Amino acid sequence: MAQTIPAPAALAPNPVPERSTGPTNLGFLTVLHEANGYLGGYLVTNTWGRPLEFRLSSAVQPNRVQQILYAGTLEPYVCADLIGKTLVDKTSVPVQLVVTDCNAVLDLRLKLDAPVAWLAAKDTVPSPRPGSVIGPASNGRGTLFCHPRFPGDVSAAQELLQRLDSTFDLAEPFSRIREAIGEARKLGVASR
Amino acid sequence: MDDLPETIQLLTTPEARAHPLFERQLQITVRDARLLNDQPWVRSFGKLQMEVTTEGWRFPAPPEEGGLRAPSVRLHQPEPAVAPQPEDVTQRVKSIRVQPPRETVVFKERLLYLLQPPLENVFSGRQVTVPFKPFPYQMEGIAFLMPRHAALLADEMGLGKTMQAILSLRLMFHTGMIRKALVVCPKPLVNNWSRELRMWASDVPFEVITGDADARRAAWAVSNCPLKLVNYEVLTRDAEIVSDEQVSFDIVILDEAQRIKNRESKTAHVVRGLHRDRSWALTGTPIENKPDDLVSLFGFIDPGRIPPDTPAKKLSSLTGDCILRRIKEDVMSDMPAKIIRDAEVELTPPQKEAYTLAEKEGVVRLNALGDTISVQHVFELVMRLKQICNFDPLTGESSKLERLVADMNEVAESGRKAIVFSQWVQPLETIAEALAHVGPLQFHGRVPPRERQAVLDQFKADKTKHVILMSYATGSVGLNLQFTNYVFLFDRWWNPAIEDQAINRAHRIGQKEPVIVTRFVTQGTIETKIAEVLEKKRQLFNELIGQNDAPPRVGMTEEEIFQLFDIGARPKRHAALTG
Repeated sequence: MAQTIPAPAALAPNPVPERSTGPTNLGFLTVLHEANGYLGGYLVTNTWGRPLEFRLSSAVQPNRVQQILYAGTLEPYVCADLIGKTLVDKTSVPVQLVVTDCNAVLDLRLKLDAPVAWLAAKDTVPSPRPGSVIGPASNGRGTLFCHPRFPGDVSAAQELLQRLDSTFDLAEPFSRIREAIGEARKLGVASR
Repeated sequence: MDDLPETIQLLTTPEARAHPLFERQLQITVRDARLLNDQPWVRSFGKLQMEVTTEGWRFPAPPEEGGLRAPSVRLHQPEPAVAPQPEDVTQRVKSIRVQPPRETVVFKERLLYLLQPPLENVFSGRQVTVPFKPFPYQMEGIAFLMPRHAALLADEMGLGKTMQAILSLRLMFHTGMIRKALVVCPKPLVNNWSRELRMWASDVPFEVITGDADARRAAWAVSNCPLKLVNYEVLTRDAEIVSDEQVSFDIVILDEAQRIKNRESKTAHVVRGLHRDRSWALTGTPIENKPDDLVSLFGFIDPGRIPPDTPAKKLSSLTGDCILRRIKEDVMSDMPAKIIRDAEVELTPPQKEAYTLAEKEGVVRLNALGDTISVQHVFELVMRLKQICNFDPLTGESSKLERLVADMNEVAESGRKAIVFSQWVQPLETIAEALAHVGPLQFHGRVPPRERQAVLDQFKADKTKHVILMSYATGSVGLNLQFTNYVFLFDRWWNPAIEDQAINRAHRIGQKEPVIVTRFVTQGTIETKIAEVLEKKRQLFNELIGQNDAPPRVGMTEEEIFQLFDIGARPKRHAALTG
């Protein structure tokens, strides 16, 4: 009997996220691609950058058949649908904006109600599928893009980002996540 | 028939018979052969579905933005003092992150520290407002303290141990790491801690445990104030109250921790008996050179870390991760050339009594003078009161001297040298007696001029001479003492420019290390009022004139002098008094 291959993500409607009246929290999601596969880390902070929750994924190593079958959709599927969505769903603290430093995670927006912004590094050439520009990141560390199918995210994200302190560096939490992943690896937590 | 071959002819004869083997029936057997369609002969496609699992950690929720919860008791919160402005400092841009110490083995706790934002971001933004951004080495000190349950901060005097401890506490309150803290300090430093708390952590409510027994019991056991401040004497007196398990703290900090170096003292017992989760100690003495003192301190900081009879050479390996000590040479690229700090002290009871009486009687006499009053009359009263602020006329008690002796002990133990200034000679001679153990030299009007150079040479060359006592008149001009790191102004001069010149005996171009200036000020006295006026004049001087020019004739005006007291009378003629 043939195995069922997950269908590509269906287009979700394009809602404008509602303005939250509670505390504003940010999610920072990164997926590392290493020798043993894809590993995701997700950090939730308040608007001051203080950590509220951290979640780590197990390593996902696509086999040869999966690589062939998924082809060009492999990376977005693994990063966004599989790792990204699982991390966000399992996290108890809700966020109003997810920031990622991986272009492939941007498709997470198709699965979430909250805006997802890709922080493209300064010298990164945007993908052939450019999204709408939200604005430059603080301290000139890059440019923020939203998903091309959700242009309404631009204003929502801009409004959220205005609540942040002017010295908040959106790129900085990713270095914390990578350090935490390294610490987890050292203690064998990531391989549990 | 005759033509058939002979063999065939034989077969057809009646005598021919079939061989038995040819009579047997052929048997056909059938056997199944399995197809090789599974492993290991045939490789499967493998799983087509990908799976992922996750693991998460949730951290203590920081208090809501807008400050910590205020306590239910009334607090002592007078207006914060005006903070001195720092010199221009070129600060390194460096990411200073909290790192978990090696003894932190719980992964979640390690994560909590690793995932904190960089300290320079914390202090740059609006999240944690501070009057001055900490120097990089101070942020490193905060990064050292925050993740530690056991820590000894032993920075040299003047590098800001109190500030580092306060900011660490503040950040830990902000992150939800702690909810209750206790600071224990010597009695003369309670006001200093109060002032520094208001300056560096104005959003952290605190209360000083003092008053009668009932008030103290309520403060210990009932009050939910996040931060409590107590002196060693009161703590020892309340030993029974604090031994109750209901009185517990997330962190206890000891200032001037060498107070408990005698393990058998009651103070040390009481301190070790405090119920706490984290234990920090602050001291300016080079504690690493004193094994016995170190062992005593660690009886509080981390009981059990140092096994009994541990040889001295092993102490370093056992305690190294818990101790941070910087001296000025280590951090001088971070620090400004000159740091000025006010040491606020309270009059001792005899001093207070003498001061109150002298002020009351003096004001009565001044008012009785009517319009024959002159600024000189007021000046004399001011001088009299300032002298009482130095020493009680009857008993000789002096809160300033107590503080100076404690500070000089640290200076001498660190191998440093200091200058002490006073506007009178008598106090210098009294101070010399009290500081006999640190090798004082005197340089003032009573020292014959021909001997003065020898005094200076000895101060420079003799390592046992840690302090030189100078009057403003003789010591403020034309001397070069740039090997001195500490300057104490035992009492202050009228003219801020003259003070600056005195300070500059140590702080000069070519001074390789920062100079720490301590100005003694007795609270609630004429000295506080004069200090406020002088501060305003200093700022004006710095803005308009500059530091390198000759000191202008800036002093207190006649009206400013009169306004020091509640005097209705004024002279008929006015003249400006210059310093």
